Amino acid sequence: MEATEIIELNNEKRTRLTEHNLKYYEDMLLYIRLNGNKSEQQTEEVLLEMLEHLLQAQQEGKTAEEVFGSDPKAYCKEVIKEIPKEEQKNQISLIIMIVLQFLGIFIGVTGILGTALYFFFGIGNSLTTFSIGSGIAILVIDLILLGVFIFSILKWIKRGAFSKKETKKWVEFFQVWIICTVFIGLIMLIQRFMPAFGKEVSIPTFYLAILGALLYLSSYLMRKNQTT
Amino acid sequence: MLNKVAIISTSILLYKVGGILSLRSQLLKGILEGCILSIINMQPAYGYELSVKLQQFGLSDVSEGSIYPILLRLQKEELIKGEMRASESGPKRKYYKLTEKGYEALQLFTHHWELIKEPVDNIIEQGGNAHGSD
Repeated sequence: MEATEIIELNNEKRTRLTEHNLKYYEDMLLYIRLNGNKSEQQTEEVLLEMLEHLLQAQQEGKTAEEVFGSDPKAYCKEVIKEIPKEEQKNQISLIIMIVLQFLGIFIGVTGILGTALYFFFGIGNSLTTFSIGSGIAILVIDLILLGVFIFSILKWIKRGAFSKKETKKWVEFFQVWIICTVFIGLIMLIQRFMPAFGKEVSIPTFYLAILGALLYLSSYLMRKNQTT
Repeated sequence: MLNKVAIISTSILLYKVGGILSLRSQLLKGILEGCILSIINMQPAYGYELSVKLQQFGLSDVSEGSIYPILLRLQKEELIKGEMRASESGPKRKYYKLTEKGYEALQLFTHHWELIKEPVDNIIEQGGNAHGSD
C-alpha cells in the first residue's frame, strides 16, 4: 500500500477513537509525522499500526496511557529514532521537483503575460531586459523564500490541528491568506528593489514563456515517473 | 543487621547512579527482541497480536506500545519483513515474518540465551539459598 492510501485509511479509522484517546493519538501523529527527513512509507505504516492497536485496546476498555505510557513525547522520540531516513534519492528529487515547478510557473507567467500585454495592448516591449547577476540573485532569494513559505505552512498545519475544535474556518482562511500575501509581497519587493548588477541581456519575452513551459513540463514528467 | 544496612545502602547508591537501571532496560531490550523474533517465527503476526502473545507468555510488565520501536529496529536491520494484507476479521494489517537473516539472528539469540540461562539460574538459586540459611 502507498503512503497516501495509508493516510486515507488512518483518517477514516481515527474517527472511531474516543475523544480522550483521539487527542492523545493526534498529538503523537503530528509529532511523528512532522519529521521531514524520515521515510514517509515507514512513518505512515507504524502510525497506522499504533492506531489499530489503540482501537483494539479501546474496545477492551483501556486508555491510550495504558498502551503507550504516560509520557507520549518520550515514547514518540523513541519511535522516531527507529524510523529509517527517507532515501536521499527521494528527498533530492522532491526538492528538484518543487524548484522546477516554481521556476516554471514564475518564468512562464512572466513570459506569457509580457507577450500578451505587448501584442494585444501594446504595453511594454517585445524584449525583456534583465541583468544576469541580479536576475540569478533574485531567483535564489525567491527559492529561499519558497522554502520558508513551505515551512511556515507546515508549522501552521501543526498548530491548526492541535486546536482544531476552537479555530473557526474563516480564521484559518485569514491566517493562510496572510502567510500567502507576505510571501507574494516579499517576492515583488525584492524584484523591485534589487539593484541591477552583472551583464545586461535582452531576449524576446516569448522565449521566457517557452522556457517556463519546458521547466514545468520537466517537473510534471518527474512526478509522473515517480508515481509509476 | 549492620551488614544488611550496608547492603541496602550500597544498592540504593548503585540504583541512583543508574547503572542497574540502564543495565536492566538494556537487558530487557535484547531479550524482548529475541522473544519477538521467536514469536514471529512460530507464525507471522501483526503488532497487536504480538503484544497479546507476549503478555500471555507472562511478560505483562512490558508496556504494549514498546514493541513498535523494536519492530521498526528489527525491520531496519532486515531481520523481519512487514507485509500489508487483509486479516481474517477484515481490515488490512501489517503482518511480520522472519527473513533469512532474522532466522539466523534468532538461532544466535537462542544459543546465547541457553549459554547464559543455566549459570544465571544456578547462581541466583545458590545465592538465594545462602541468604535463606543465614
